[in-house]
Amino acid sequence: MSVLSKLKETIVCLKAGRVTLPYPAQARPVPERFRGRPIFDAAKCTGCGGCANNCPAREILVFDVCQEVRVLQYLGRRCTYCGRCADVCPEKAVTMSHEFENATNAIGDIQQRIELFMSTCQRCGRCFKEPTTLDQLKMKGYRFDDVAHERWVFRSKAYLESEPVVDDIKIEWD
Amino acid sequence: MVARDKLNLLKDKFGPAILRADLPADDRLFVYIEPVVVRDVCRYMFGDMDARYIISIGADDRPFSGKFMVAHNFAFDPEKLLVSVLVHVPADNPKLDSISGVVPAANWAEREIRDMVGVEFEGHCYPKRLVLPDGWPDGVHPLRKDFAWNEVPKDFDDEREFKFDEPPAGCTVVPFGPFHPTLDEPAHFRLYVEGEMVRGCEYRGFMVHRGIEKLAESVLTYNDIPMMAERICGICGCVHNVAYAQAVESAAAIKPPPRAEYLRTVMLEIERLHSHLLWVGLACHIVGFDTLFMQSFRIREPIMWIAEKISGNRKTYGLCLIGGVRCDITPEMRTELRAVLDKLEAEWRPVVAAVLKDKNIQKRTRGIGVADKAACKRSGLIGPVARAAGVDIDCRRDHPYAVYDRVRFNVITDDGGDVWSRVVVRAKEVFEAIEIIRQCLDKMEPGPIQLDIKDELPIGRLGLSSVEAPRGESHHFVITGENNRPRRWRVRAPTYQNLQGVPAMIKDQQLADMTISLGSIDPCFSCTDRLETIDLKSGATKVWTQEELLKLVRAKKA
Ligand code: SF4
Ligand code: SF4
Repeated sequence: MSVLSKLKETIVCLKAGRVTLPYPAQARPVPERFRGRPIFDAAKCTGCGGCANNCPAREILVFDVCQEVRVLQYLGRRCTYCGRCADVCPEKAVTMSHEFENATNAIGDIQQRIELFMSTCQRCGRCFKEPTTLDQLKMKGYRFDDVAHERWVFRSKAYLESEPVVDDIKIEWD
Repeated sequence: MVARDKLNLLKDKFGPAILRADLPADDRLFVYIEPVVVRDVCRYMFGDMDARYIISIGADDRPFSGKFMVAHNFAFDPEKLLVSVLVHVPADNPKLDSISGVVPAANWAEREIRDMVGVEFEGHCYPKRLVLPDGWPDGVHPLRKDFAWNEVPKDFDDEREFKFDEPPAGCTVVPFGPFHPTLDEPAHFRLYVEGEMVRGCEYRGFMVHRGIEKLAESVLTYNDIPMMAERICGICGCVHNVAYAQAVESAAAIKPPPRAEYLRTVMLEIERLHSHLLWVGLACHIVGFDTLFMQSFRIREPIMWIAEKISGNRKTYGLCLIGGVRCDITPEMRTELRAVLDKLEAEWRPVVAAVLKDKNIQKRTRGIGVADKAACKRSGLIGPVARAAGVDIDCRRDHPYAVYDRVRFNVITDDGGDVWSRVVVRAKEVFEAIEIIRQCLDKMEPGPIQLDIKDELPIGRLGLSSVEAPRGESHHFVITGENNRPRRWRVRAPTYQNLQGVPAMIKDQQLADMTISLGSIDPCFSCTDRLETIDLKSGATKVWTQEELLKLVRAKKA
């Protein structure tokens, strides 16, 4: 008979009591390892580009303005908060923060731009020492991501060119 | 040597048509055959040798071997063997005999290869476009290596329309989807209805095809892909994450450290717990029993919290890298996880006891959406759908990975083949998952969680991996490649096969039962072909035809 099972189900509900939280008035504290929005520390970053090379979402752009200045831009758009950038950064310059209420109308609230003063390395100009062979994107030297259009350019050069190369992008912009 | 026995059987039968065979391990077999015998070999394996069809994969191998490659994958579940039958197809005349006549479950896979790689399957029983959008030009195949990842074909024809099949005589067409408040994802079922009875349907899907496989083989690297794989599915993301990593590891002959394997098992079972509780809740919700829907979700929540504590996120664990995992379980987490499991078990038991006797749920689910053993074989149905029909398969036992060969658990089966049996199977599997996690926590030894990989991965190796997702087997196929990324990565999620069984499940059933048969898919009777607007001032009505609406939309875009 079904009445008995209905009674049992009622007991399950009654025993539960109240379980909802008064969010957003009061948020549940996040655990220690929680991966929220990554935050880049300009003071620690050496501009090695390791985070950019290992970001699965290709969210971090690198652009060499000139021999001495490298721009690192975090787009904050399709970042999946995977935390790989923080894992591979040799300088511990990326922190996975505990911020999760990141909805915004102005993407600038989340975007970060670091302008770095670079000294020249004798080998390739810029180096990222991969922790393992699997953490490499075969891009050495100078980088010219399309910062204005917030796009990766899958190309790097051994020499700094005055004209940034964006001709491998076949998509037209609206 | 099971693999060798099977190979010998094939050699006896087909002799010189077997060109080459690789047996990298006792549970894997790669057979290269002549294109002319592909149909006979597949018929023999599927019929006489009683293999289970998994999936077919197409790859553009022209830059390497000058040919296209097609692989038909089969499983011998009792013998714990995965077999890949590989055929090279000439580049100038990419044609191959279709196996859809002898293996009906290959219907979609072959159409997908035709769309994406451009190999024609001769004699296919239903050669309609499957994956590419309607306006995509013929002869352009996105998974070919000469097609760039960010290319948009120039002659994309916005105006080209999809041609539906003619409905059978005497049937009315009732459209289902693609957008409906209760549909989680866009999918369109065009139902042929006679009175209240569904007589057949035509399915259109792939509306959110994201091209993840193309990205993987052109812009991502080996260790980027696990994070992308995880986003293939919102429920069983960790399954894809692990399956991908295992496929690469099997191709490159890498063995992750034991602790990493235990951690993978624990996280996979945590995911199974959350998925089963969610699904039982949703099934109840669809038949209108929201009380249990709420309770399932309440009981499930602590599982999400502990997953968040261990991995940093409640759903996207970001677990695997090639050769290991990224997060460890501390002793405190272990204690807490045990407590969570005890509470879950104590709370789930009374729910199951009540539900299994609930006549109302049974009335809505018994004898509904039936897929029997024959249907499972024919359409390659897997997971709880197959187990509910008495087909005793479970990749965790049949093709053991991680540490499933080191823990004890039962494979739950039932014999109804209907929605009710699926509820029973999934409700009971929760207890098995709890037991598996407990055993892992007991047996886990301290140690490294990531293998130190010093060399680049070998190139051109093949890897297969089957992982039992909460909904069935997820199968990943990888060919390793240059530039620190795979040449080809093919994902076969369980729904890919199970969805192909739906037309048979809903045939000759009441329209009202369609919802629960399809699980989360709900009917939508009002939208589609036209729409009515009312001028509020005059009260005049205007009925828009499909043509007018399309015109309006296109005018806006231009
Ligand atoms: S968290 Fe992941 S997706 Fe986001 S920037 Fe870092 S590596 Fe990229
Ligand atoms: S990996 Fe660290 S140091 Fe290197 S560019 Fe990124 S943030 Fe800077």
